[in-house]
Amino acid sequence: MKTIAAGMLGLLLALPTPGMAHRLDEYLQTTRLSLARDRIDLEIDVTPGVMIARDIVSHLDMDADRRISPREAEAYGKTVLQDVTLDLDGHAVLLTMTRVEVPTAEEIIDGLGTIRIRAAAPISSLAPGRRALVFRNNHRPDGSVYLANALVPTDPGIDVTAQTRDPRQREIRIDYQVQPASGAALAWILALAGALATPILLRSRGHRLKQHDPRGPRSRTRAHQT
Amino acid sequence: MSYRTFYAVAVIVCLVVGGLLLGLGSGMALQAQRAPATVVATGRAVAAAEAFLATLDQAKRAKAHIDLNAKTRTVWSNLPTGVAMQVGATERNGLKLGDMTPVQEKAALALVASTLSADGFRKAMAIVDADQFLETRSAPTRSATTRTRFGRAEYYVAILGKPSAVDPWMIQFGGHHLAINVTLAARQNVLAPTHTGTQPATYTVDGKTIRPLGTENDKAFALINALSAEQQKQAILGFEVRNLVLGPGNDGKTIQPEGIRAAGFTTAQRAMLVDLVREWVGILGDEAAAAKMNEIQANLPDTYFAWAGSTTNGKGAYFRIQGPTVLIEYAPQGAADANTDHIHTIYRDPTNDYADKVTRQ
Repeated sequence: MKTIAAGMLGLLLALPTPGMAHRLDEYLQTTRLSLARDRIDLEIDVTPGVMIARDIVSHLDMDADRRISPREAEAYGKTVLQDVTLDLDGHAVLLTMTRVEVPTAEEIIDGLGTIRIRAAAPISSLAPGRRALVFRNNHRPDGSVYLANALVPTDPGIDVTAQTRDPRQREIRIDYQVQPASGAALAWILALAGALATPILLRSRGHRLKQHDPRGPRSRTRAHQT
Repeated sequence: MSYRTFYAVAVIVCLVVGGLLLGLGSGMALQAQRAPATVVATGRAVAAAEAFLATLDQAKRAKAHIDLNAKTRTVWSNLPTGVAMQVGATERNGLKLGDMTPVQEKAALALVASTLSADGFRKAMAIVDADQFLETRSAPTRSATTRTRFGRAEYYVAILGKPSAVDPWMIQFGGHHLAINVTLAARQNVLAPTHTGTQPATYTVDGKTIRPLGTENDKAFALINALSAEQQKQAILGFEVRNLVLGPGNDGKTIQPEGIRAAGFTTAQRAMLVDLVREWVGILGDEAAAAKMNEIQANLPDTYFAWAGSTTNGKGAYFRIQGPTVLIEYAPQGAADANTDHIHTIYRDPTNDYADKVTRQ
């Protein structure tokens, strides 16, 4: 430790203050988009830097009691969501907030608190084909830093084919391909297999009856009729 | 049952049983192959864990040794002490160095070292020393009310689960800019997920320049500059990336890969990429790291390399390496061109974070 202390003296003046250990005047806004056949989920994490944190807290803490209530958190989350747009194949999609988590006012003021907003957009089940989703974040564009990414879809029938962004990542266009649902495909295969197998099974059954029914086909027919 | 049906059933049963036996056999062969090196490494860690716990009284042991479960294992962060972590917890797992006696600290660091390579342990401690700079600078001017703390005393060592050569358990070593998460499971050591970072990125000790993450930086710039203009066009993203996408608190997520696929790399370029990946994987002890590197090399054709920012070393740039079993991100904080003094990185395995692949079996 002593050797380190001796070596660090020249550097100390050049070092940032502790509050500078993280972002100062930037508002980091990270968005991850999750694609499914019947919904689109958004995770938006916003982290205000220490120099803008008091301003953000003043918007969050509307009654200025230095505590952020669930209602205040929800109101802020909705404000952020009002500033973002989501279009699927050129049509606006309505986002509904599903959850918001807010750190303490002190943590935000220290520049180390992240507000987490979760939203979902139910959509009518997508038919197979090419789709284009465009997300645009218009929340506090001055001084904001953006990240926007598509998550790998959990549905193997959805393939992201391209992600295109503007230089700041305020806007992302996700092109993707929707394959026929695996369940539907399986149902088609089973139906086809069933259709092919039915005559064979019936024939085989008839053959067995001929072989093993000591009463012969006539007596069996009668038994069914009773 | 006709002869035909009987024959068909017999064939199916033979195939299933044969397949099972084959799988079991190859599994046993694999285990036999792995056993010598990994058993020694795990045994070393178990002994070090028991030695560390033996130095502690009951109260400290209760802090240092906790249950391993789906919640406790995720308690780690890039953030300093005093701030709620991404997963919501306000305090890291374990006992911090500042609350240990010198004997206890020595045993704690011996435990950490027992699962890491010599270079990996040096890197971790260089990150700790860098953070001591921040603390030395901040302490005199710190507000009395702030809970945020930096420095060596604020690094925690935790044992999650019962140290065992057979059953899964975990060692965590973390503080600001560091979260080493080693899971020891079924004779395998897994490093993912692990976070490294540093601020400052360069400092001197006894006239010697220390760059905790300097090698990663230099190897990445060498690789991007070894790509042809056409390859760079594919690798370089047309937008800025000013932070980690899957940093702490983002377990279990996989982003869509971007950049250039290594399938088209020359032999020399592939070697450079593998060498760069080793900067993270090689934090782990040599035996486990070698096995992981073999897996990553096998998947190299499906591995992507993406870059954002300047290609001139000395300026800031973000890069990402993403393959079927690896995700690495390196992100200078703030405006990339201007800020190279504050770095965050993350290492993940989308298929095996916390040794999930092994513990599920």
